[in-house]
Amino acid sequence: MADKDISIIKRKGQRPTEAFDRAKLHQSITAATLSARTPEGQADSIAYAVTNYVLEWLESRPEVTSHDIRLVATRHLRAHHPDAAYLYEQHRTTL
Amino acid sequence: MDIPSSLAIVTLAALIHASFQLSVSVLTLLSGHAIGAKHSQARVMRLTFGFVSGAGVMTLLALSFISLIFLNVFGHDAPQIVWAIACGLLIGVGLAVWFFYYRPGKGTSLWIPRSFARHLSDRSKATKSAPEAFSLGLTSVLSELIFIAAPMIISALVLVGLPGTWQLVGIAIYAVISLMTLVSVWVLIGSGHKLSSIQKWREDNKHFLQFAAGGALIVLGFFVYVCKIVSDVTGAI
Repeated sequence: MADKDISIIKRKGQRPTEAFDRAKLHQSITAATLSARTPEGQADSIAYAVTNYVLEWLESRPEVTSHDIRLVATRHLRAHHPDAAYLYEQHRTTL
Repeated sequence: MDIPSSLAIVTLAALIHASFQLSVSVLTLLSGHAIGAKHSQARVMRLTFGFVSGAGVMTLLALSFISLIFLNVFGHDAPQIVWAIACGLLIGVGLAVWFFYYRPGKGTSLWIPRSFARHLSDRSKATKSAPEAFSLGLTSVLSELIFIAAPMIISALVLVGLPGTWQLVGIAIYAVISLMTLVSVWVLIGSGHKLSSIQKWREDNKHFLQFAAGGALIVLGFFVYVCKIVSDVTGAI
């Protein structure tokens, strides 16, 4: 699935808007899944599935916030790996 | 104040310090990023050990520095008013911890300036080597000073009244006990425990930890007040 030109509003507009980057989303989900002590191959497959789901969700949305993306990714990641979803969701509220 | 009572106060102050969660949060984030970046377990352990060492060194330095200031300003016996202010500070911080320690909502976010939290979070992600982790440990203790200043001040006041050798023993006791939670988390990470389990435990028990830390600060404040001020005044009468 090709990347669309979608703007991501970061931290309620406190940081500059960025174009959606599929690789960045894939990498962050892989990192969260690896943090939950999942084997590399499985982490990559899960990240691929979750990224595709987020891309489908983005189809009709030209502009979303980074928080929205995190919520949607977490919801789908929970179905694959609840522990990884918990870490992914908690990342911003740990400190 | 006799040596056992002084060391008991230092021990309780260090336990209160250990119950504060900022450094534990940073350690959790640091290990999460390190594992997520596919570092080997040995490298994860080196990074987290660097962090714990940094936190330990800064705790030693901060307590020694505060003690040195008190020793130079007040000598071996600080005036009653200073003890009273320190007790008031303990009780005030205890009440503040009860009401404001955690931000409302999910997670374990603390009432520290958001710029501090973002800096520590960003640095935990950017940390790639043990020396960087060491300096992150140093910084995290400094960021926590708003909470740990009160137990450190009372420990310093107690320590300057002890003979030289016991001052060193007291500082060592404080540093070792205050690092207990960080060392526990480090051991859990090293033994392969899931970060999600550690974080879930912290989130599930955050209100208990908040109550315990706040309550212990208030108890320590009253104990020192009675031990040092009330007993001195009634003894004088």
